[in-house]
Amino acid sequence: MSSVPVARASRGGRPPSLVTRRRVRGIAGLVIGVGGFLLVWTLLSALIFGPFTLPPPSRIGSVMWEIVRSGQFIHHFVPTILRLAYGFGLALLIGFPVGYLMGTSRWWRAFFHDMTIVAGSIPGITYAVLALVVFGIKILGPILSVGLVSMPYVAINVAEGLDSVDHRLVQMSDAYGRRRASIVRNVLIPSVAPFAFAGVRLSFALAWKVEQLTEVFGSSSGVGFQIRHEFEDFSIPGMLAWVLLFVIFMILVERFVLAKLERYLFRWRLEDRP
Amino acid sequence: MATLRVEHLNKTFPAIERGSDATTAIDDLSFEIGGHVFVSVVGPSGCGKSTLLNIVSGIETATHGSVSVSEDGSPARLGYVFQEPRLLPWRTVMQNMLYVLEGEDVPDRARDYLRMVGLDDAGGKFPAQLSGGMQQRVGIARAFAVEPDLLLMDEPFSHLDAITARSLREQLQGIWTEAKKTVLFVTHDIAEAVQLSNRVLILAPGGRLFADLPIELPYPRKASDTEVAMAQAELLRRFEEMQEETDAARATDVAS
Repeated sequence: MSSVPVARASRGGRPPSLVTRRRVRGIAGLVIGVGGFLLVWTLLSALIFGPFTLPPPSRIGSVMWEIVRSGQFIHHFVPTILRLAYGFGLALLIGFPVGYLMGTSRWWRAFFHDMTIVAGSIPGITYAVLALVVFGIKILGPILSVGLVSMPYVAINVAEGLDSVDHRLVQMSDAYGRRRASIVRNVLIPSVAPFAFAGVRLSFALAWKVEQLTEVFGSSSGVGFQIRHEFEDFSIPGMLAWVLLFVIFMILVERFVLAKLERYLFRWRLEDRP
Repeated sequence: MATLRVEHLNKTFPAIERGSDATTAIDDLSFEIGGHVFVSVVGPSGCGKSTLLNIVSGIETATHGSVSVSEDGSPARLGYVFQEPRLLPWRTVMQNMLYVLEGEDVPDRARDYLRMVGLDDAGGKFPAQLSGGMQQRVGIARAFAVEPDLLLMDEPFSHLDAITARSLREQLQGIWTEAKKTVLFVTHDIAEAVQLSNRVLILAPGGRLFADLPIELPYPRKASDTEVAMAQAELLRRFEEMQEETDAARATDVAS
């Protein structure tokens, strides 16, 4: 029978799977993209702006290393991350109940809808300045500006998630006599989770930028404070080094914490049919 | 096994828009079923078949009349197989089974019924990893696993391809014979009703009971059996009679 050897041959000399090929292609794209960016930067620095106006990547790299090695990075990084975490926690604490009310009651939807849209459209810098003027530069200002800028996204996404609940699953649960608490845990929360998570990722991307702004405007510690400090010293390498360190950290959080968590939580969606 | 008693049941849906009429889905329907029986309700679409099941299961309420399901006086346990599998996509097959089950021997029971539908290995999979037919089999296993006094089935094979549906119909007869449940099965497919049930209720448009027919053939039945084909022809004749009567009534309505 010819079918047996054919089947064996395809198993033995297996070509790289589609997933592997996609991953290789993705990494190649990333390396070429970043490499190209650094090359253009180096050329601009050497040929057009000069190393004082635009220091080359190698110079920034060594300053970054110096900041990390001296312990300054940790020193200013911890307060920034804590403020971000508190502010973000505040956004979730308010955003979830508001979203729940909007998603379950017409009256509350009407009450909150326009306000959340307006709150979401206001530029981050407005929140930064406002929070500093009203609540001061200590700790409350930055936390509140992060909370205010993130909250509408969380609320709107939670409300939309509740809208998307498949009522046939709720009916099924009723027909089998499930209690309300069990339906919330097994049907409502899992339906809302992907939306809530999208809201969290979106607002996280905004939150850390606003957090930096508040620190630039008024704070006595944190990464944003260091950026302003270097700016006032006319130290472009120092400024860029702080910015880049923070950006790299945020990308790592996005890629390796949030994206991984999302993949794990929603693995039931990613499975392919046999 | 329970007794289902439907007495003078009426369900009217209020008009959606001003100026339009209210819709009567079920009109003065009475019947009683109990014991190890497989009762099919057949009728054209829109004759209130699914509404009947929803009222029996408590998802909807009756406008008039009453529906009672009792197991020796105490409230009965229900199982429900829907047109679609209605599994929780974020739970594995096993978790979907456990979601509706109560009691101590629950995981064993879930495994037993998964084995009964031929899915012993699928417990750890998510619904999206199964084919449509396999998902529907999980839905059937779930309904049997609650060991219901009354099992409701709402066109459970209508979304499946003909070959899968045919094999599931044969499996269902085996499970029903073994598990000895009272089944109320809704379908618009006369062949399916004849193959599966020992009693058929024909509903006319407007949710009126037109005929109540016994089908006394031994199980298991195949769609290709001669006796099944003959019973099918007989049922089809009654169905046509019902349609002629409905058309005539409609013509008189228009004329007057």
